[in-house]
Amino acid sequence: MIEPLKVLIVEDEALLAMELESLVEEAGHSVVGWATSSAEAKSMVDSTDADIAFVDIHLTDGPTGVDVAHYIGERKRSMVVFMTANPKRIPDHFAGAIGVIAKPYTMNGLTSALRYLQEGVRRPPPVSQRPAGFTLSPAFEAVWAPAA
Amino acid sequence: MDWKRTREPADAWHMTDDLHVEHGKGDPFAAAIRATRMSMIITDPRRPDNPIVFANDAFLRLTGYGRDEVIGKNCRFLQGPKTDKAAIAEIRAAIEDKADVSVDILNYRKDGSTFWNALYISPVSNDKGELQFFFASQLDVSDRKRSEHRITADKDRFEKAVKERTAELEAALEAQTTLLHEVDHRVKNNLQMISSLIIMQSRTIKDEATKRSLKTMLERIEALSTVHRRLYQSKDVSRFDVSDFAKDLVTDLLTASGRSGIKSKLELEPIVISAEKATPVALMVNELVTNALKHAFKEGPDGTTAGRIGIKMSQPDGHFNIEVSDDGVGMAAANGDASFGMRLIKSLARQLHANIEWRDAGPGTKVVISMPNEPQQKGTLS
Repeated sequence: MIEPLKVLIVEDEALLAMELESLVEEAGHSVVGWATSSAEAKSMVDSTDADIAFVDIHLTDGPTGVDVAHYIGERKRSMVVFMTANPKRIPDHFAGAIGVIAKPYTMNGLTSALRYLQEGVRRPPPVSQRPAGFTLSPAFEAVWAPAA
Repeated sequence: MDWKRTREPADAWHMTDDLHVEHGKGDPFAAAIRATRMSMIITDPRRPDNPIVFANDAFLRLTGYGRDEVIGKNCRFLQGPKTDKAAIAEIRAAIEDKADVSVDILNYRKDGSTFWNALYISPVSNDKGELQFFFASQLDVSDRKRSEHRITADKDRFEKAVKERTAELEAALEAQTTLLHEVDHRVKNNLQMISSLIIMQSRTIKDEATKRSLKTMLERIEALSTVHRRLYQSKDVSRFDVSDFAKDLVTDLLTASGRSGIKSKLELEPIVISAEKATPVALMVNELVTNALKHAFKEGPDGTTAGRIGIKMSQPDGHFNIEVSDDGVGMAAANGDASFGMRLIKSLARQLHANIEWRDAGPGTKVVISMPNEPQQKGTLS
């Protein structure tokens, strides 16, 4: 059995954060924090030991999710997956993130993404099929899903 | 007329500029140059600062100077503050190279007024190839320059107007695009919230039948979510690739069912339909696939379920056909005619002007939907 993930949720919509937390926990992982703004997210990144952060692009202080991803990338302790309804706002280099789960995701889409990410983080590269609605960044695509 | 006989010394003409002087009087070329309406001068580069040694009356009329004011001077007194430095440099370079030059230059009269001078300068050498003089003619082209300027100004004005209009339209388009993205973003977020609300509510419910109803509702909303996730991925927001959607939907429904024994067989041509058809088509496909998953397959003695669900999409000749098939228990055993799902499928089919047919595929069932799908032209959607 693969060790579960410690997840940080960076999401300004309470309802979505709540539901994401339930799904994460149902899948056997744990949620180490929930931040709604970039400042809150940064301080939580420093105070928790999350394996992975799900980061919405749009937070309470504006479209600062990419900034949060950069911050997390510099600390090199956690990995980032964007979760956004507006994937076009993600820069081409993905700010070092693994990829993006496009909203609206389905319940199964998210569960599959969690399994895929768990494999990718703990025992890369992941063996499960990449779920619909999940896009890898070019950098991770090269490592996790190289073209045959 | 045999003028050679009366020929005078070769440089007789520049002894004086008086038409009536005896020297050069017999030279018809000298006479012509003196009398022509074309302004002409001759300069002597062998003397210091290349001074004017001859100027005809037309030159004096054009520039407003007296002969005694120009003879012995370099032509640069014609230049003024607004004279183009590049034109001056061009002339200077030609003179240094002993070459021809033709240039339009702004010159100044004695009274300070300006005129556009179509200046032509050419070097004159003797038989040995030694430079003797420069010959220069001046033509007042102020009228031509004025109309050129007017045309340029008109062109600039039109270009400016076009630029402004283009900027306005671009700004309007930008605003519209921003608005579209904003609305798109909200629709997606709201769909996500609706799903979340249903899932959370469902967790609190003990009754299995109610739970199943909520799950069916969630599946329908997730089908809409999948449409919306796919809808604005392409550049053209009015068109929708239904085969990409079908792949996402079937993969998602099959994994969600948790029954790994059921395989999918997808034969999907890339088919583009108008965005307005995307939602009803998506809901129909969702109903048919979930229906098959729920009713077509019976659990085997070992507790697992095996089977195959096939989706085929093709577009023969102005039509769009969808076939959803399974190799399950067949129609007789799977009876859901009165269900809400069935009513939904039939109503959506009516909306799409689609024919829908249930066929016994022995084994299993095949549902065939066929609807007109005219080639979509850009911008035909109102």
